[in-house]
Amino acid sequence: MKTAQEMKPNSVMLIDGQPWMVQKAEFTKSGRNSAIVKMKLKNLLSGSTTETVFKSEDKVEPVILERIAVTYSYVADSVYVFMDDEFNQYELSEDDIESVLPYIVDGMTDICEAVFFEGKVISVDLPTTIVRQIVYTEGSARGDTSGKVMKPAKLSNGTEVKVADFCEIDDWIEIDTRNGEYKCRAKAPF
Amino acid sequence: MRFTWDIFCTVIDNFGDIGVTWRLARQLAAEHDLDVRLWVDDLGAFVRLCPSADASLAVQEVQGVAVHYWAAQWSPVAAADVVIEAFACELPPAYIAGMQGRERPSLWLNLEYLSAEAWVDDCHGLPSPQGKGLQKYFFFPGFSTRSGGLLREAGLIARRRAFQCDIAAQQAFLHDIGVARASGHRLISLFCYENSALSSLLDALAESVQPSLLLVPEGCVSAGLKSYFGLEHISRDHSYERGALTVQLIPFLSQQDYDYLLWSCDLNFVRGEDSFIRAQWAARPFIWHIYPQQDEVHIDKLQAFLDRFSVCLDGACSEVLSALSMDWNEGRNMAQSWRRYDAASPVLAGHTADWSARLAEGENLAYSLVQFHQNWL
Repeated sequence: MKTAQEMKPNSVMLIDGQPWMVQKAEFTKSGRNSAIVKMKLKNLLSGSTTETVFKSEDKVEPVILERIAVTYSYVADSVYVFMDDEFNQYELSEDDIESVLPYIVDGMTDICEAVFFEGKVISVDLPTTIVRQIVYTEGSARGDTSGKVMKPAKLSNGTEVKVADFCEIDDWIEIDTRNGEYKCRAKAPF
Repeated sequence: MRFTWDIFCTVIDNFGDIGVTWRLARQLAAEHDLDVRLWVDDLGAFVRLCPSADASLAVQEVQGVAVHYWAAQWSPVAAADVVIEAFACELPPAYIAGMQGRERPSLWLNLEYLSAEAWVDDCHGLPSPQGKGLQKYFFFPGFSTRSGGLLREAGLIARRRAFQCDIAAQQAFLHDIGVARASGHRLISLFCYENSALSSLLDALAESVQPSLLLVPEGCVSAGLKSYFGLEHISRDHSYERGALTVQLIPFLSQQDYDYLLWSCDLNFVRGEDSFIRAQWAARPFIWHIYPQQDEVHIDKLQAFLDRFSVCLDGACSEVLSALSMDWNEGRNMAQSWRRYDAASPVLAGHTADWSARLAEGENLAYSLVQFHQNWL
């Protein structure tokens, strides 16, 4: 068991037999009030989210989820198929991979992690940093080279990200998958 | 069908926890036709607030509430429809098991301390999964419409107004507690924790142009008063004077009589939570001594209240109130801040009355709890 205060974003706890992932955790201590942790939780089976409050010292049951390295293969009829190095295939729905869907592109070679709960694949995690190619963006409006001025850019799957003003069409960029933010320009991954 | 409610209270220290839960229990029983049990682990503290009760009885019916002694050795009872753990006290495990075992589990509420801080609104009413299908909900009293509101029983404001318009009633009450108010004296009640700023406050009052009669419940800051007057003993048989200041001890009052005291005074120093709320319903200027904590987190809580209280107050008066409150709560010399406060007191009196009237338009805590239960059903 752990205390609620020890549960950080992305850690998972078991509540009434269901795995809930901590998406956000805010600690508050005020006056004589209980020290509390307000959490946003996501049910890893149903995808539903909820907000909860725990006393910081409340005991919760952490869950260590099994993870297997996989790569993306293809999508058919909204079923996303990933494969491990023994060619086992794992099928996931759009809902299962909602949080990483914006970064799924044909031909991607990222080593992902299929996440299992009680033997069943429930989601896929991408690496923290991925490299994607810009297929469209406007030209640099102000000639800024500092990287502080941002503009929208589109990836090949239509996902829009804010990139540095100096980025151009066909440039490769690094994206932080935890927050969807542009990090820097990158070399082509092949 | 009458719903059953259990309220659990552990008396940590002082009278704040039992004060709030006793008021809540009475109001739920009297105004919402509920069967209410109040479980308290220190009947001695309860009897100080409710002198008609008997500290030796394990169970007694008082003002429509079944008051139970919460013994360390728990004797199993059927869990109620609604269970309130006041201020995060720990319920007996066997009782929690009983809540789970009901055909429909009990509604479990953790009633928290009052705070004016903004985060309260975001956490009020949120569930806290406890496993085995039980949810506990955090219920936060507060000053905003998104919080649980403040304890305010029906007819309170009308009774206060009537009392404050009735000079004879005020004189009769003061007479009953042994106080004779001389003409021209400012009447001040003082209820606070031990406070190193006390002597500077007393000095400031002693040096004021207007004479003050300071009423102090027996047992409150007695060490500070003895030290200030250089006496080994102080008692209700005497009053103590220095300059324009007269200090008089009064008996520890029941909740009802304490309201009369607050309603009678020109300025009230209050502490903790229960007297703090009642001072606001008194609609007279008050200074809050917040429950002090080692890590100083209480100062943020105090500031949050001052910020909220001062929204419609002009900047200069707001600063005066803030300075005095901080000096009082941080144990600093109050000579300067008192002089400035004294000069601003007419404006602050009007503002406090307006503040009280605005608060009285908001939801009251007991009603909010009942509504929460109905919505949950």
